[in-house]
Amino acid sequence: MIEEDLKTPQRKYSARMRRFTENITGYLFVFPALLIIFVFGLFPIGYSIYMSTFQWRVRKGDFIGIENYSKIIGDWTGLVIFIAGIGLLILAYLLWINASKAKSNYVKIIKFFAAILLLAFGFVISIGWDKMILLGDEGFLNSLIITVFYALGSVPLQLIIALVLAYILFQNIKGKELFRMIFFLPYVTPVVTTAVVFRIIFSPRETSLANILIGRLGIEPLKWLFEPKTISELMFGLKDLSGLLAGPSLALLTIILFGVWTFVGYNTVIFLAGLGGIPKEVYEAAEMDGANSWDLFRFVTVPLLSPITFYLFLISFIGTFKAFNHIYVMKVPNAQKTVVTASVQIFQTFYTENNFSVAATEAIILFLIILGLTFAQNKLLGDRVFYG
Amino acid sequence: MANEIKRSVTPYKLFTQRKNNNSTRFIGKFLLYFLLFLSAALALLPFYWMISTSLMTLGETINRKWLPAVPQFVNYINAWKEADFAKYFMNSVIITLTSIIGIMFTSTLAGYAFARIKFFGREVIFAIVLSTMMIPETITLLPNLMLIRGNIIPLPGGSWMNTLQGLTLPFMANAFSIFLLRQFFAQIPYELWDAARIDGCGHFRFMAQVVLPISKAPMMTVLLFAFTGSWNAFAWPLLVTTKDTWRPIMVGLWTFVSEAGPETHLLMAGAVISLLPVLVIYFITQKQFTEGIATTGLKG
Repeated sequence: MIEEDLKTPQRKYSARMRRFTENITGYLFVFPALLIIFVFGLFPIGYSIYMSTFQWRVRKGDFIGIENYSKIIGDWTGLVIFIAGIGLLILAYLLWINASKAKSNYVKIIKFFAAILLLAFGFVISIGWDKMILLGDEGFLNSLIITVFYALGSVPLQLIIALVLAYILFQNIKGKELFRMIFFLPYVTPVVTTAVVFRIIFSPRETSLANILIGRLGIEPLKWLFEPKTISELMFGLKDLSGLLAGPSLALLTIILFGVWTFVGYNTVIFLAGLGGIPKEVYEAAEMDGANSWDLFRFVTVPLLSPITFYLFLISFIGTFKAFNHIYVMKVPNAQKTVVTASVQIFQTFYTENNFSVAATEAIILFLIILGLTFAQNKLLGDRVFYG
Repeated sequence: MANEIKRSVTPYKLFTQRKNNNSTRFIGKFLLYFLLFLSAALALLPFYWMISTSLMTLGETINRKWLPAVPQFVNYINAWKEADFAKYFMNSVIITLTSIIGIMFTSTLAGYAFARIKFFGREVIFAIVLSTMMIPETITLLPNLMLIRGNIIPLPGGSWMNTLQGLTLPFMANAFSIFLLRQFFAQIPYELWDAARIDGCGHFRFMAQVVLPISKAPMMTVLLFAFTGSWNAFAWPLLVTTKDTWRPIMVGLWTFVSEAGPETHLLMAGAVISLLPVLVIYFITQKQFTEGIATTGLKG
C-alpha cells in the first residue's frame, strides 16, 4: 500500500534525476578529449590572433594592431581588387552552370559571357596581386604562389593516375588485393624515411638513380632537388618570366613527384570504394547499346564517379595547402625560395628567424585561405558530400 | 556477358565482332596488366633502392650498383649501435604506446558520448570538434610550443621540452578518431541499450561490456591510425626535442642525414630500421587500413 502511494512522485523525481545524471555522464565522457582538443587545437588559433597584433620576437613587445597584416599584404586596395577578381570567377562559374537551364539559343551567349568573365578574373587578380607584391612581404606572398604551383602540380596528376589504377583494379584482375596493398604502401610509410630515400634517388650526382634513368633516354644529368631554375627555363630557355607565369622550379617538380608517389594509393582506395557503388545495371545497359570498354570508362565510369572525384579534388587541394612535412624534408638550401610553400615559410619565420608575431600573422592568413577553400568546398559539394 | 547479348545480331556480324573482340580484349588485358605492373614497380622502387643500398659497402654506393656483391648486414649493427638508433627506436616505442593509450581512452569515451548519451549542447560541441580537422598543423605549432615551454601558463615542473608528456599530450585526442568511432557506435541497435538498462547497467558498463566487444573493427582502425600518426610524427618532435633524451626515431633519422654525409649505406640502414615496425603492422593488418579509409573517406 505504502509503496503504491510513493510510486508517482518518485518516478517523476527519478526521471528528472536520470536526465541530470545523463547530462553529467555525457560531459564526463567527453571531458578528456575536449580538454586536449581545446587546449592544443583551438586555443592556438585564438592565441595566434592575439600574437599577430603585437610586435613579438621571442618576447612580447608593443601592441601594434593590424600593422603586421598591413606589412604582409602591402596594399589593402590591392587585396580588395584581388578579392573582387575572385568574385568574378564565382560569377563566371555560376553563369556557366546555369547556362544549360536557359533557352537553347541563349546557352552559347551565356557561356560566352562566362568565358569573358573568366578572362576578366585573370586580369583583375593580376592587377590586385601586383599592387600587393609591390609593397607587401615578398617572401610570404611568393610562398603562396609556390603553394598554388604545388597544389596544381600534384592534385590533378595524382587523381588521374589513381582513377586509372582504381578502374583497372576494379576489373577482374588476378592479385587485386596484392596490387592494392602495394599502391597503398607509400601512404603509410613515414615521410622522413621515404624522403631520405628520395633525396638520394634524386640527388644531383651523375650516378643517382634519377639521372641514370633519364640518361637511358638520352637526357643530360639534372640537378633535381638542387635546381632552382624553372622548368620553362630548363626546357625552352625562357628566362624573363616571373611570378605565376614562370611556373615551378625543377626542385619543386621533384617534390611534387614525391607527393604524387605518396598519395596516389590513398586516392586509389577511395576511388575503388566509389566504383563499388556504381550499379552494375548501368554498365549492362551501356553494353547492350554496344559500348566498348573505353566508352564504358568515358561515358559511364567517369561521370558517375564525378562526385567522388570532385570530393577528392577539393580535399587534396586543401591538403596541399596544409602540407608541411613532405616539403620541409625535401628542401635543400640550393633550391632557394622556389620550394618554400606557405606552411614552410611560417615554420621558418618562427623557427629560424624567431619572428613570432609575423609567423602568427602569416599563419592566420593561411588559415583564412583554407577556411575560404573549405567554405567553397561545402558550397560546391552541397548534399553530394561523401562520408561513406 | 557482351557476347550473350550480341547473339541477336546476324551470324556474320557476330563472327567478325567476336574475333575482333577477342584480339582487342587480349591486347586490352595485356595493356592493363602492363600498366599495373609498371605502377607497382614505381611504387616499390624506392623501397628496393633503400634496402639494396643499406646492404652495400661504401664503394658500392658510390659506383652505384643495383645489388651488393655480398650483403653487408654489419651496416645495420653499425647504425643501431653507433648512430644511436637503438635509443631513438626505444624512445619512439614508448612515445607511440603512450599516445595510442591516450587516444584510445579519449576517443572511445567521447565517441560513445557523442553517439549514445543525450547531453545539452551535444551537436554544437561535436561540430566544433569536427571543425578542428581543417586546422593545419603549422598554425598550431608555435602556440603549442610556447604552451609546452611554459611561456603562456605555468606548468608543473617548469618547461615540458624534452619530456614524454610534452611529446605525447597534444596528440592524445583527435577529431578523426572520435568521428570514426561515433559513426560506428551510433549504428548499434537501441534494443541492446534498453535491455542493458533494465538489468541495471550504466553507460560506462554498457560501453565496456557490450559496445566495445562488438566494435573491434573500428577500434582496430583507430588504433592503426594512432600508431602510424604517432610513429611517423615529425614536425612537433623536431621542435620539442632539443636533446636526445626523448628524441624519436624520425627526428634521429633526420639529424643523421647531415651526420652521415656520404655514408648513404648507413643512412639507408637507419631508414629501414625506422620503417620496420610500420611495415610489419601494415602487412598484418592492411585490410583494416584500406577498408577503414575507404569507409570514412577522410584523411587521417
